[in-house]
Amino acid sequence: MRGQAGGAAGFLQPPDSDVQSWMAKAFDMARDALENGEVPVGCLMVYNDEILGKGRNEVNESRNATRHAEMVALDQVLEWSRLKQLDPKEVCKLTVLYVTVEPCIMCAAALRLLHIPLVVYGCKNDRFGGCGSVLDISSDDLPHTGASFKCISGHRAEEAIEMLKTFYKQENPNAPKPKVRK
Amino acid sequence: MEPDTKRRKGTEYDTDLWDVLPVLSDEQSRDTKLLDAYAAPITEKRETSRLVKELAVVYPLPDLQHIKRVRARKDKNAPHPLEVIVCLASDVSGLESQRSTLADLLSSKTIDSRGLGEPFLVQIPASPPLTRPQFERASKHWPTSFHEDKQVTSALRGQLFSSSEKAKMGEYMNAAIQAARSGHALGMDAVGAVIVDPQSGQIVAVGHDCRQGTHPLHHAVMVCIDLVAYTQGGGAYEYEKYPACRYSVPESQVTTSHDDLSKEGNHCSSDKAMENGQLYICTGYELYVTREPCVMCAMALVHSRISRVFYGAASTDGALGTKYKIHCQKDLNHHFDVYKGVMLQACEELLDLK
Ligand SMILES: [Zn+2]
Ligand SMILES: [Zn+2]
Repeated sequence: MRGQAGGAAGFLQPPDSDVQSWMAKAFDMARDALENGEVPVGCLMVYNDEILGKGRNEVNESRNATRHAEMVALDQVLEWSRLKQLDPKEVCKLTVLYVTVEPCIMCAAALRLLHIPLVVYGCKNDRFGGCGSVLDISSDDLPHTGASFKCISGHRAEEAIEMLKTFYKQENPNAPKPKVRK
Repeated sequence: MEPDTKRRKGTEYDTDLWDVLPVLSDEQSRDTKLLDAYAAPITEKRETSRLVKELAVVYPLPDLQHIKRVRARKDKNAPHPLEVIVCLASDVSGLESQRSTLADLLSSKTIDSRGLGEPFLVQIPASPPLTRPQFERASKHWPTSFHEDKQVTSALRGQLFSSSEKAKMGEYMNAAIQAARSGHALGMDAVGAVIVDPQSGQIVAVGHDCRQGTHPLHHAVMVCIDLVAYTQGGGAYEYEKYPACRYSVPESQVTTSHDDLSKEGNHCSSDKAMENGQLYICTGYELYVTREPCVMCAMALVHSRISRVFYGAASTDGALGTKYKIHCQKDLNHHFDVYKGVMLQACEELLDLK
């Protein structure tokens, strides 16, 4: 596993057994995406041991290429904060993201803008990764783009990669078509 | 020039007041790196081709295909009109002295040094020039070959677009500025964006910053992308509270009426278009935005396959030129051209609105 979670982020990081059960739920979401013809990425947003947001990619469904799992889950965190009349930024500051694949450059910037302090992810994202793979948005010096965040990577990485491989194999026009929700 | 443009002299539409400049990759815009090398005069001109052949064998310059091995002295009174690269300084890095003699350089080599004078240090460009300014700077050191991209050259001179094209850009940017002002009147940051179908010239979506109140990630670009999704039977958010945020289905695209475009609506026509590969979200569309997009928005444009982006003012953490150049980031699967400076002054004035 990579990354040292220090400060507030370290305090937020739950024991290994909890990480495993949160990640298991994130993988369930990713599987749901795969079954619906979406890029298999799933995530969970956890605040005080409570799941505030759950997301998986819904790009094809929404015809909006920005509907990544993280963006979907962040919407739910914001909605929850609104209903509880809490400042969303204060909630986000204490929220951990569990996601099967390293957040992309866009999502990493969104997480920064909302002050999410800690991200636990499965495999690297060589195509779009924003936490070190393509760019390092998570820790670069960006004074006008929220706050940097910590990453812990490597949890069930092989499994996350396998799911992505399965998906991209399907995307190949010579391969059988995935089941797309109409 | 169109009479219409002339009549508007001194207004925001005056296309003489701003330049549309390309935001090139670092490779295209930086100063070319230089390498130290030894050159020597050719004292007997008839030995030139033999010397070039033999030097290429004993000191090949494999990564420097762009370098011309021999140069002519510009100074007509020079005792020897031709000079040749003997080797790179790094080829003979074992030598202690900076003032190596020809014998030092060629000591371990089998070469007939007849016709070569005493060497001297020069600096030669390490990589091929990609733009005319790079070529001109490189040539001051040592001649190189140059495969000119005429479009880039004229873009760098601010001459890629005709004044009527600029007038059209001004119109689109003006729509973005109006949207920014509408948003600002509702307490938002004064940022506006417009997505255009350049085939028809039609505006497909207009959006402004919607952060205050609704959603902290609703930057103008994100709003526009979602409004384009609406034209294709998708979309994720509601914008009823913001009448200036709107979309219109491109005429070329579908005959679907707006009633069918609800989230659960009929996706058939869009599905077909997507399967034909004509229509993946923002493919073929152009974005006009008053301020350089942030990292999130810039990457959202990559994911959406936008074809070109025009912005007015730069921004501090901007991701299309200032802090990053995400539009030409290596490893990413989609790249697009970016131009800045469209209606620069009017766009900069928006930044000052509090
Ligand atoms: Zn993402
Ligand atoms: Zn943005």
